[in-house]
Amino acid sequence: MMHLLSFALCLAAFAALALATERQQHDLFGGPLSPAATRLLRVAGTGVMLLALGVLLDWQGWGLGLVMFSGHTSLAAGVVFCAAIGLAGARRRGKSAAISPASRRV
Amino acid sequence: MKTDNVRREREQRPAGRGIRQSMSGLHIWAGLLMGWILYVMYLTGTVSYFKDELSQWMRPELAHQAELPDPALVAQRVADELATIAPGSPQWSMRLPDARTNSVYAFWRLAPGEAGAASGRRSFAEAAFDPATGGKVTARETLGGDFFYRFHFQFHYMPVLWGRWIAGAAAMFMLVAIVSGVITHKKIFIDFFTFRGGKGQRSWFDAHNALSVFGLPFHAMITYTGLVTLMALYMPWGERTAITTQAERQQLTAELNAFIQPGKPSGQAVPLASVADMVRQAQERWGQDAVGRVTATNSGDSTARVAVARGEAGRVSMSPQYMLFDGPTGRLLETREGVGAAAETRGVLYALHLGRFSDAVTRWLYFLVSLMGTAMVGTGLVMWTVKRRQKLADPERPHIGFRIVERLNIASIAGLSVAMTAFLWGNRLLPAGLADRGAWEIHLFFAVWALALAHAVLRPAKTAWIEQLWAATALLALLPVLNAVTTDRPLWHSVAEADWVFAGMDLMCLSLAALHAVLALRTARHRPKPRAVPTKGRGGVIGGALEEGRS
Repeated sequence: MMHLLSFALCLAAFAALALATERQQHDLFGGPLSPAATRLLRVAGTGVMLLALGVLLDWQGWGLGLVMFSGHTSLAAGVVFCAAIGLAGARRRGKSAAISPASRRV
Repeated sequence: MKTDNVRREREQRPAGRGIRQSMSGLHIWAGLLMGWILYVMYLTGTVSYFKDELSQWMRPELAHQAELPDPALVAQRVADELATIAPGSPQWSMRLPDARTNSVYAFWRLAPGEAGAASGRRSFAEAAFDPATGGKVTARETLGGDFFYRFHFQFHYMPVLWGRWIAGAAAMFMLVAIVSGVITHKKIFIDFFTFRGGKGQRSWFDAHNALSVFGLPFHAMITYTGLVTLMALYMPWGERTAITTQAERQQLTAELNAFIQPGKPSGQAVPLASVADMVRQAQERWGQDAVGRVTATNSGDSTARVAVARGEAGRVSMSPQYMLFDGPTGRLLETREGVGAAAETRGVLYALHLGRFSDAVTRWLYFLVSLMGTAMVGTGLVMWTVKRRQKLADPERPHIGFRIVERLNIASIAGLSVAMTAFLWGNRLLPAGLADRGAWEIHLFFAVWALALAHAVLRPAKTAWIEQLWAATALLALLPVLNAVTTDRPLWHSVAEADWVFAGMDLMCLSLAALHAVLALRTARHRPKPRAVPTKGRGGVIGGALEEGRS
């Protein structure tokens, strides 16, 4: 259960950090967000990730806590990365379909 | 004029570009030269996180252990059995069953003069015992998951020490590749989530970056700690200088593990006191399931000693913790719960590599991130050919270096999947009575791997990739079927019995089959882009590596 909580926090943190990058904003929103929103995402992402670390350290102590945190962050980053690829791809496909359905590759 | 230009260019060049170029070259060549060995070490090491589960699957005769037996009773049963089958043994040691093992593995030193004991050398025998009866278990002869585990750091068909030196050299190359890779990749944070799909070598590049960066703490840790596990072999001089006497050597051993060493026996026969009582005392101290190992020296003699060691679960350290008992009386002599700072540093690093302290979730995290590392090495190897293919003078007839790398990639990546699965097929299909059956499983692994290499050399590269990936898919997908046919523990039965070792193995094979099928389909669909016209300046290729930040 604590694993799930920490992993969910790591996912949310990486999602926020990903949305704070220019490329993802361009791919997902079609343009950059305001600098204030970007900063907020970055701060929130970092904060939530530290919270996940806190949860694990409180539960398992430094040794196991750090090992688990390393695993959760690696996996969460991978999941967010794949989700971003999927979302950007879906958005591109939706866009190209809206422009010219005939030009869609089969 | 020309010199002026050069000088101006140099001044305009952003600082640090020079080092990045040279690091990029180092990264590419350090990664390539040992890449195939590293891929093999990574993948076999990755599956070794489930070595106990693999061993259970490979001995289907041993029933699923629904409940953990009382460790104290088990220890007593096996100790009694060892007193019968190995009387006069100077040392025996057993690993008590836990949630991941359903048998008790024990080894013992053969008594001097006993058949099989070589003169002047320590000779050991080993066996697995049934926790319920204490008797030797009768299962098919197999090395089980230990084959992949041992193979990943000492290989096979060669002296163990050679293998360990090769593994050490490969790990050093890996460390160089990691450090140079981090320096080359200057925009780790900006490009953290970057993936440019459908763009040939840039997609490979981004995938390789993502796999490397996400798992970077693990990759660096596992490589460094891998070297630490064998540091006494690679760097023996400090130890040789500091440890000279027998007493010092014994002291060193005591800092490193809980295998107590036998003294001189008195020759006076006294039976061992209750081992179960000793284990119970340890359980009171560390917890019900926290006892890992029982080691006895000179058991049956008046000088007997028994060490009951704490298990590895839940503590990130391999440093020994044990309670030492007087054998004949069962009196507690000493409780050891700490080692010196240097030994503890080693103990922690060692534990981090093996991950035996893990609960089930952490073990899966280890497995998955390690799999990312395997994919990192694999994508790196493939990238070498992807980058160079477009620059080939004649793509139909590439030069010999390119061909060697391309074919070795096929055999070591797709071929290894085929060979590892074939090893598991061999476990189910080789007849039980075959002499040296365990060894034949391993011969089969290498025979299939050699065939994969021959196939990779003989077929066109793309066809070879596709055919081997499909072969791996078929072998993996049909393994649960083979298991259902050859044992009485098919998937539906395991799920009904809540036997997650067997069910997990079947489901894992099916997921890996799906993964290989996707790879095969994508390879088959891939159409290489028309050759790019080489351009000067922007977007150039330096030292074979696409320079970052210029794309």
